[in-house]
Amino acid sequence: MEPTLSAVPASQSLSHTTLGAELRAFRMVVWREWAHFIRYPSWIFALLIWPIIFPSTYILSARALSGPDGSGLGRFLQTAGTENFLGYIVIGTLVWMWQNTILWNVGFALRGEQMRGTLESNWLSPTWRFSFLLGVSPVQVIIMLVFIVVSILEFSLFFGLRFNANLLSLLLVVLASLPSLYGIGFVFASLVIAAREAGTLVQLVRGLVMIFCGITYPLSVMPIWMQSFAEWLPPTLIIRAGRAAALTAAPPAALQGDLLKLLLFGAFWLITGYLAFSFMERRASRRGTVGQF
Amino acid sequence: MTPTYAIEADNLIKKFPSRQQPDKTGAPKKKFSLPNPFKRTPPTLFTAVDGVSLQIHPGEIFGLLGPNGAGKSTTIRMLCTLLEPTSGVARVNGYDTVRNANLVRQNLGTVLAGERSIYWKLTGRENLEYFAALYHIPPAIARKRIDELLERMEITARANELVERYSTGMRQRIAISRALLARPPILLLDEPTLGLDPQAARNLRELILSLKTEGHTILLTTHYMEEADQLSDRIGIIDQGKIIALDTPAVLKNRINQQDVLRLEVAGWKPEIGEKIQSMPEVGSLVTRYMGSESLWELTLHTPNSRALLPKLIEQVNFNGTHVANLNVVKPSLEDVFIQLTGKALRD
Repeated sequence: MEPTLSAVPASQSLSHTTLGAELRAFRMVVWREWAHFIRYPSWIFALLIWPIIFPSTYILSARALSGPDGSGLGRFLQTAGTENFLGYIVIGTLVWMWQNTILWNVGFALRGEQMRGTLESNWLSPTWRFSFLLGVSPVQVIIMLVFIVVSILEFSLFFGLRFNANLLSLLLVVLASLPSLYGIGFVFASLVIAAREAGTLVQLVRGLVMIFCGITYPLSVMPIWMQSFAEWLPPTLIIRAGRAAALTAAPPAALQGDLLKLLLFGAFWLITGYLAFSFMERRASRRGTVGQF
Repeated sequence: MTPTYAIEADNLIKKFPSRQQPDKTGAPKKKFSLPNPFKRTPPTLFTAVDGVSLQIHPGEIFGLLGPNGAGKSTTIRMLCTLLEPTSGVARVNGYDTVRNANLVRQNLGTVLAGERSIYWKLTGRENLEYFAALYHIPPAIARKRIDELLERMEITARANELVERYSTGMRQRIAISRALLARPPILLLDEPTLGLDPQAARNLRELILSLKTEGHTILLTTHYMEEADQLSDRIGIIDQGKIIALDTPAVLKNRINQQDVLRLEVAGWKPEIGEKIQSMPEVGSLVTRYMGSESLWELTLHTPNSRALLPKLIEQVNFNGTHVANLNVVKPSLEDVFIQLTGKALRD
């Protein structure tokens, strides 16, 4: 008969850290996040309803402003460079909702564990602690991609949305956006775990994105100082490049300036996210706030 | 090389910043004053653990006994790397808890107080699979170990149900299985029987004893004196962050063998009677506890001579509607040791 593991003298642990073991741990964090997501079925309603509700207010306002005969569209073309105000608003609001989702889901990932009471039991293990934050992101990327597809389908169906897209450019914009959006989420997660309350910060960040990044209007309508500030916010670049790729079929070469800047912002925010997390981890360990909520 | 001690702490101190309330500063209170929301009182330091030193031998069950807030959990949190000491050094299986934190985590299984250390939206088996990966246990070994633990904890039949449908006792067994997954040589159990029904608590105590026979070193915190007495090879009594006594349960209880311990139940209790009893020269220490009905109180008295004290004591108590409902001379327990050392009960 094969001996049981309990029969082996308890002098040596079965725990052995290797790169493969770390990768398996990361995969399990991703799986845990996915299991929790699908076991709370109310997300289906949010995924179907939210994409169309939020942009609809702007779209209907835009229809009213363009006049019953659409005569205002010429003015819109002059300032925004396109008459497709529907696509213009959908791209802007999608990026805003993406950033918003990251703030709530990635930004609150550690806080959620803290409130659930499981953060300490995770941190008692020898797994690299940043994996617990990184592991949340792949599921959120998948959810957001589904969200984007649902949005586009709904707007095509209910509002007759049409794109003139360069798919390769669009894919590059999405990929270049990930580092900075998630890097901001990591910084946010670290702040949330330290402050233990972050409703105000969420409002501030999404308010900044809403006002400065031109989610429903061109940046040119803002004062110069606001336009300069907006250039430092990654969502501004994502929206601008996204609109060019989706509405005017801009080739990758036409977007390379914004894509390069996005990658630089991404490197900055990922490094800042990691440093903020390391600082928060040390601070929580000194103050004993890891398990407090 | 096997270290001499499984756990070693040398002068561990943990201080937390805290903000003192304005009305506790001793300043005279104004009659009508509105609180100033912008005024921040300067931070002060609260010492939760104050110079704890201990050495725990491999294979030993060491009990850390003390009332709530004594510093037991803070000590455990420093040993399991969740909390960095303000000063002092701790080693687990020879590894420094700050400098070699990951090696410490590989050698430790920890169960912290409370039942929410596992995921309620995962099944019992999924929880163990998840944590086995976090503890870097190779998958084939993990599968075998999980089956073995589920069997041992008698959860196999319900292993594929969500934890939210489990009883408190079952959740605690999954939490303990989580700590045992890596078969760590050292286990830290913080109030492991807290909130369990008597049967579940008894089963858990049996499990702890069987883990000792398998060679695990166990550091157990509890404020249940019977539990500490039954399980521990040695006990450290902790109060206000300091270890005030450390020895085997028998030696600790022998310390007060020169004292008689009287336990009285008194009906119609009045606080002034306590003051009178306390002032009697034969009374070493007195602890009172409300028993929950019709002013019935329990008194625990330490005295060097119960024969001399009893007549005077009964005379003091049986007065003005108060009377002795029950009286026993009892064998000293660890709680009596604690009373003698601190002048208060463990449950205070």
